[in-house]
Amino acid sequence: MDSPLIRITDLKKHYQMGGTTVRALDGVSLDIEPHTFTVVMGPSGSGKSSLLYLLGGLDRSTSGQISIGGERLDQMDENALALFRRRTLGFIFQSYNLITSMNAAENVSFPMQFTGIPNAERNQRALQLLEQVGLADRAHHRPAELSGGQQQRVAVARALVNNPSLILADEPTGNLDTASGVTVMQLLSELHRSGRTVLVVTHDPRMTRFATHKIYLLDGHVVDEDEYQSAALEMSQGSNESLEIK
Amino acid sequence: MKFFDLLRLILGNLSRRKARVALTAIGVVIGTAAVVILVSLGIGLQKSATDQLYGIGDLTLIDVMPTYGGEGGYYVGSGGGGPAISLSSELQEPALLTNSALEQLRLIPGVKAVIPRDYLGTQTVIRYQRMEGGVNIIGIGTNDLSTLGMEAGQGTTDLAKGTVVIGVMTPYNFYDPYQRPGQETPPPPELLNEQIQLIVIKWDQDGNEIRKTLSLRVTGILNETGGEADYSIYLPLDLVKSMNEWAYGTRINYNKTGYNQVIVKVEDPNQALDIADQITALGFQAISPQSFLQGINNTFLILQLVFGGVGAIALLVAAIGIANTMAMSILERTREIGLMKAVGATNRDVLSIFLGEAAGIGFIGGLGGIIVGWLAAQAINVIAIIYLAGQASQQGGAPPSVAVYTPIWLPIFALIFSTFIGMLSGLYPALRAATMIPVQALKYE
Ligand SMILES: Nc1ncnc2c1ncn2[C@@H]1O[C@H](COP(=O)(O)OP(=O)(O)OP(=O)(O)O)[C@@H](O)[C@H]1O
Ligand SMILES: [Mg+2]
Repeated sequence: MDSPLIRITDLKKHYQMGGTTVRALDGVSLDIEPHTFTVVMGPSGSGKSSLLYLLGGLDRSTSGQISIGGERLDQMDENALALFRRRTLGFIFQSYNLITSMNAAENVSFPMQFTGIPNAERNQRALQLLEQVGLADRAHHRPAELSGGQQQRVAVARALVNNPSLILADEPTGNLDTASGVTVMQLLSELHRSGRTVLVVTHDPRMTRFATHKIYLLDGHVVDEDEYQSAALEMSQGSNESLEIK
Repeated sequence: MKFFDLLRLILGNLSRRKARVALTAIGVVIGTAAVVILVSLGIGLQKSATDQLYGIGDLTLIDVMPTYGGEGGYYVGSGGGGPAISLSSELQEPALLTNSALEQLRLIPGVKAVIPRDYLGTQTVIRYQRMEGGVNIIGIGTNDLSTLGMEAGQGTTDLAKGTVVIGVMTPYNFYDPYQRPGQETPPPPELLNEQIQLIVIKWDQDGNEIRKTLSLRVTGILNETGGEADYSIYLPLDLVKSMNEWAYGTRINYNKTGYNQVIVKVEDPNQALDIADQITALGFQAISPQSFLQGINNTFLILQLVFGGVGAIALLVAAIGIANTMAMSILERTREIGLMKAVGATNRDVLSIFLGEAAGIGFIGGLGGIIVGWLAAQAINVIAIIYLAGQASQQGGAPPSVAVYTPIWLPIFALIFSTFIGMLSGLYPALRAATMIPVQALKYE
């Protein structure tokens, strides 16, 4: 068996809100094997995004260790983190985060500007990736001229542009209808089959069918499936009861 | 990030916000144009002032006069001498311009020639045929006026016994003393190779007039210098000396009394002030036209600084505009900054991009400013020259060639300066953008 690509040890992310401390992540430890498709599940506020941002080197943890491919993210300086994000990582956001004043092709090639790849090669690669996500005919459309699903596919193409080995997606289907969501998930699944490691945050159970592994988060802790299911049941009953009282 | 990628990105970002960039740049246009116009005006004023000062003479010449010390002025020398200089210190050691003193002057590095001169200290009349002329007669201790940098327009600059070299305007000072009213004024005489009479006049104790006449041949007419030489005639120093001796009835020993005046010619006009100082340190009085020029230049330097300062204030206001625009822009593009970082831009990349955009606004504004400023300077020039030429013809002076002058370094400097100002005003916003935490930038609404 492969040694884990990602190893997280006792990871904590606390936010100070006035006098109170919000423990978004409170001692998370987990391993993620390479070439897996992992889905991170959990109710709203359980710390899924916080975990993903820390894995993506977009934020700093309060304590604990993250190592990816043997390198300690929590010990990297700003510059090293930037290079890590550039070379190793493709990040997909729930809200796409496309630059509205650029067309689809420009958005896809945007990350390559920082890498020194020649311009002609960049354009070619952007078009090729747009074709791969089925948007060859939309290359010169601006985000405003695209549907949500199309925008998210542009974002997927952009995440792939530097050929990352690790794809992180934070609720990529959260803003999409089911059909568009499935298209995006199929794209991510293809990426997994092509040898990449994929980590997707979702609270949509329908998305779990693509997963090889599942991680459950509750109040900043990793829990096993049974615990998660009973908690979910409790929660739904709780909400029913309160509805009945009214 | 490669330079051309950076440049392309910056240009793309600026062109996507044309309206805002243009509005911000207008402030820089005004500021830069103000700098260009005002400094051009200052330089133009200086130029026309120094052009007119050209008349004060050759900048490589230093007039040196002796210091007499004590009560001063025991030497009843020839009248009409050099400029009147009041001696400040009565206790000064006398410093006479003897031959050994002249040797000392010749030893100063940068000195090309040291030439004594003297004026004829008695009444004289110059006559040519029927005409008489009143001119300035200078005895000069060289046999070639070209050592003083003078050039002959006609004939030669050589001075020999019995010859005279005259200034270009001297023929115009000849008049016919027997001209009757209504008679036509004769044209100025053609004097080259002609004999002129020099009549020296003195009076004996009883007040009887005694005249002595010398016949001299004009062998050269000097080019116009704009200075004293134009209205002077040059004779060998020995001749002037012997006529002065005749007029005063005493022998003159320059080695004992010293020369009244010495001209020091220096190699480089820029050294003139320095050499004049060294001569002063030897105890003599030294006057260099360069020192007038320096005083005037200092005045204009102050004027230019004031003018430039006014322009710089306009640029400062523009800089605040750039800072404001950049701060707004960075606020609006916070998510874009977050994204840049998420896809692998380093802090330095982000800093370069926003600094570059601010510098770009400064550059565009500066470019517009130097075009507007240059055009305005040309317009002022046309108007001012028409106006000043009208004034000059009324007052009888030379019309100025230029009122506003833009040297080539000014637009280049203005462009660099406005770009730099742009960059400087973008520094704080750009630093803020560069150091944003990606997650916070991405979550910004
Ligand atoms: N910048 C912040 N400042 C303070 N608290 C924060 C901040 N970001 C997140 N939190 C808190 O941390 C906890 C976890 O947030 P997180 O965004 O990771 O949840 P999530 O699992 O992604 O939820 P969702 O499914 O709604 O996206 C929440 O309680 C949230 O209020
Ligand atoms: Mg979330």
